[in-house]
Amino acid sequence: MPKLTIDNIPVEVPQGTSVLEAARSVGITIPHFCYHPALAIAAACRLCAVKLLDGPVKGIQMSCSLAAQDGMVVSTTDPEAMKLRSLVIEWLMINHPHDCPVCDEGGECLLQDFTIAGGHGRRRYQGNKRTHMNQYLGEGIYHEMNRCIQCYRCVRFYQEYAGGTDFGVMGSAGRVYFGRFEEGQLESPLSGNLVDICPTGVFTDKTGRFRARYWDYQFSPAVCQHCSVGCNTSPQAFHRELIKIVGRRNDNVNGWFICDRGRFDKEYLNTPLRPRDPMVDGTPCEYEEALAALAARVADLAKVHGPESIVIAGSPRLSLEGALMLTELAEHLKGATLSFYAGPAESEVSLGAVKLLNEQNAATVRDLEGADCVVLYELDLIEEGAMLVPAVRKAAVRGGQVYLVSSGQRTLSKPLPFAYRQVASLDEVIIEGGAKGVVICGAAPRPAEEMAQIASLGAKLMLLQPGPNGFAVGTVALESRAVPLSEVLSSGKVKALLAFEAELPDRLPEGVTLLACADWRASDLAKGAAVFLPTTTWIESDGTAVNFEGRAQHFQRSFKAGLPLKGLDPKYYQHQSPAPLHPPRVPHGEIPGGKERDCWKVVAQLIEKMGGGSMAEPLTGKWGALRDLDPEGGGIRVFGLRDR
Amino acid sequence: MELLLFKHNRPGRVCTFEEYRDGGGFSGLKKAIAMAPLEVQQVVMDSGLRGRGGAGFPTGKKWSFVPRDLPGPRWLICNCDEMEPGTYKDRALLEANPYSLIEGMTIACYALGVRHAFIFIRKGYETAAANLARGIEEAKKAGLLGERILGTDFSVDLDLHLSAGRYICGEETALINALEGKRPNPRVKPPFPAIKGLWNSPTVVNNVETLANVPEILANGAAWFKGLAKNPEGAGNKLFCVSGSVAKRVCVELPIGTTLREIIDVHCGGMRDGKKFKACIPGGASTQFLTADHLDVPMDFDTVAKVGSRLGSGGVIVFDESQCLVAATLNLITFFARESCGWCTPCREGLPFVKEILQRIEVGRGEERDLEIMREHIKYLNYSFCALAPGAMAPLDGLLRSFEDEVREHILKGKCPYKTEKQI
Repeated sequence: MPKLTIDNIPVEVPQGTSVLEAARSVGITIPHFCYHPALAIAAACRLCAVKLLDGPVKGIQMSCSLAAQDGMVVSTTDPEAMKLRSLVIEWLMINHPHDCPVCDEGGECLLQDFTIAGGHGRRRYQGNKRTHMNQYLGEGIYHEMNRCIQCYRCVRFYQEYAGGTDFGVMGSAGRVYFGRFEEGQLESPLSGNLVDICPTGVFTDKTGRFRARYWDYQFSPAVCQHCSVGCNTSPQAFHRELIKIVGRRNDNVNGWFICDRGRFDKEYLNTPLRPRDPMVDGTPCEYEEALAALAARVADLAKVHGPESIVIAGSPRLSLEGALMLTELAEHLKGATLSFYAGPAESEVSLGAVKLLNEQNAATVRDLEGADCVVLYELDLIEEGAMLVPAVRKAAVRGGQVYLVSSGQRTLSKPLPFAYRQVASLDEVIIEGGAKGVVICGAAPRPAEEMAQIASLGAKLMLLQPGPNGFAVGTVALESRAVPLSEVLSSGKVKALLAFEAELPDRLPEGVTLLACADWRASDLAKGAAVFLPTTTWIESDGTAVNFEGRAQHFQRSFKAGLPLKGLDPKYYQHQSPAPLHPPRVPHGEIPGGKERDCWKVVAQLIEKMGGGSMAEPLTGKWGALRDLDPEGGGIRVFGLRDR
Repeated sequence: MELLLFKHNRPGRVCTFEEYRDGGGFSGLKKAIAMAPLEVQQVVMDSGLRGRGGAGFPTGKKWSFVPRDLPGPRWLICNCDEMEPGTYKDRALLEANPYSLIEGMTIACYALGVRHAFIFIRKGYETAAANLARGIEEAKKAGLLGERILGTDFSVDLDLHLSAGRYICGEETALINALEGKRPNPRVKPPFPAIKGLWNSPTVVNNVETLANVPEILANGAAWFKGLAKNPEGAGNKLFCVSGSVAKRVCVELPIGTTLREIIDVHCGGMRDGKKFKACIPGGASTQFLTADHLDVPMDFDTVAKVGSRLGSGGVIVFDESQCLVAATLNLITFFARESCGWCTPCREGLPFVKEILQRIEVGRGEERDLEIMREHIKYLNYSFCALAPGAMAPLDGLLRSFEDEVREHILKGKCPYKTEKQI
């Protein structure tokens, strides 16, 4: 462990740590552009210069590419080092367009920060600026090449990390250009990360341009609920509009990055068509009224037909809290059937994975990166878990063998960015003794005998879930002996269906007289429900999600739900005359459309209305251990809790 | 004076295989193969041969850095990406005789344990490339290259790679990247190519002239080679290619330690049109100007370094009293600014900055503070990623060191003093 001194602070760091990282470890940020912890060292920008006053190396050095050694005496504030840093900024500013007021990166721009920090202020260059043509890079990313400071982060990410081939660097000297050979949609499913990784505004999020500044955003740690990988994100909202989603670092799951689906797929959360009003028989009303009406109708029905005629349905879209609260409701309505999956196939896949996995055989993302052999079993990895792609790529680049077992039923939506061997069956996969192997299975139905064969390979397992929170819901479903919805409904005895964020069939069987829905999205069937209760999405609520490898992660509310100000119907400020300024200068207590409640709270309040006890804390018993989970931590695996 | 590199030259045409062989060619290879590889390396080390590409690093020492116990291949690359302005010695050498390079590479491969070597040749050198391609075939046919050379177990394949052409490809790690099919950006050092070079294996990159010296060193011994030089610290001969304001622009082989005065007066027939010598660049564009005070400096690596310049590649560009050195420096900086690979900030952005300043000074819009800005660049461009930008600053450094008054004159008069009103 080398011991060195940085700005008179003694530092001890592990062997191989760079001086830049050593300085970070004691809270000194040495300005940098090309350095990024997830990428290989480039040492191209020359901004991280420090001066070594004493020790094995002396003079001005680039701290990103200099390994810390015993006895080094480093100064980050030496006049010579500072002069070089200010010159680097001056050089970069020669061609930068200084268009911060109209740049979407303004306020969250590394170039702005380090320009101020660098000490350069007055322009001495008297020549012209070089200019570039921008390219159309698809609907996700806006390209503004003139802002480029040539740190090469984008191309290093795109080619080396993501394995993309359609974006790169062209030209030389002052004409270096980062783009595609021809204009067009970027092909990599991780292309959106160019927005996060660019230290300035060359790549900005086209889906959220010019909506707000960084300091306007409300954001909290969130866990993406598009698939069961559970990537960490920061959804950024302003005036109740979800404007951008950016990646949040969690080395146990997604590293620094997120996939394009998790980043750009957000319109359905902002849409004005989202159901926002509680309704009884199609008439908007107050939430309490709707809850009371539902409680009364359920009680009446239970009196006439017995609680056995009631189905309580959820889905893997529920948070762990929501799923647990449904079991409380089922207990309250003794005899009611609990259901978490639309059909038996989905239920089998999810519950099968929960049963099969344990602390030892469930592979982590780190296991995947370090694997000697990776088997993709009947799986379109980019579609079902895109953020596992860079981990498999890391294994492949290190020399690991990747197999794609495909009987030909599933086709790949996009080509995989690593070398692999396609085989027709598991029999052709060879995992040599002692080799670290990982098998990734998709959420498509898998025959039991094949699962047994996979389990016997001696490799660690990654079993993707059919829904974002499938592992949590599957665990609860297993314990509460839940039955798939299609099976219950086909029995013909069901009179009432209470659906909480559940996947409803297209039509209900004859005989069902009461349909109640609590959801943040609504199908035609749900819209016609006798009682409709709007709920919040994961971005507008607190909760716990468990990803495919059994890792529980806490997410927090980024903003209070309500109709986004953008496109807000004037009826919402009709009571004011004249209409208020935009944005409103006077806060009003009531948020238009802001009646949505967290799903688990809706269930708890329903139980209360039906005469049950008050349920203030959904995580009870063995799940109580997850109450204090740090939303910004790495998350914890729940196998120990589950088997308690 | 004993010729070594130009020994086999024939006036107006390339030397043939038979001429080279019958004139004593391939005797060095035969001698080398009879020795142990480490002994061959020791002879080169003892000869005091220094890299002729410009840096002057001792060749034997460079070879000794290659680890011999690592599994996997080792590579030898001949750097023939001769793009330094003012330098054309490798072209002159290869257009006269490709065989000493081929023989030298074969010996180097033997000394280093290399199975496969490459010649990375500048795109424009079509005649040289054709000579080499023919020479390789002839040597193979004669059993001097390829499988089982001279009936021994020693085999070498030699491949000719025609560069796509950039100045930066002369930088050895950029050359390696280019040879691998990547962008010619230099690599982070360490690890040096001797440890991790081409396809991450130990690699030696040597200049054409360096390798062409090797056969004669082996044939005649290290002491003989050392004795060729005119000064005791030097070793061997050097190709000097002279251009600019001299009567005869020639590429001539002279002992290391020959003075500039002798090169210009004796071998180039003096200055052109009887003009007075003003300055010269001694070793390619990335070296500092030498002035009339330096005409008697022996042209050897260390002595030229002592007077603040570099022997470099031996590409001498001579300027006379009627020529503007601001314009000359601007011309060179323009070349370097264009040839930057664009990887690191100081080189990519700093060189165009200097170019813009020199342009302004030359047209009479210079300011006093420009001198300060240029001095900052001379100092801080040393911290760029590779040696291109520091090399580019060398002529500017020489300009400000020896001809500051001339630069000032431009600024104060608001015009170039060497241009007539009509030219302005």
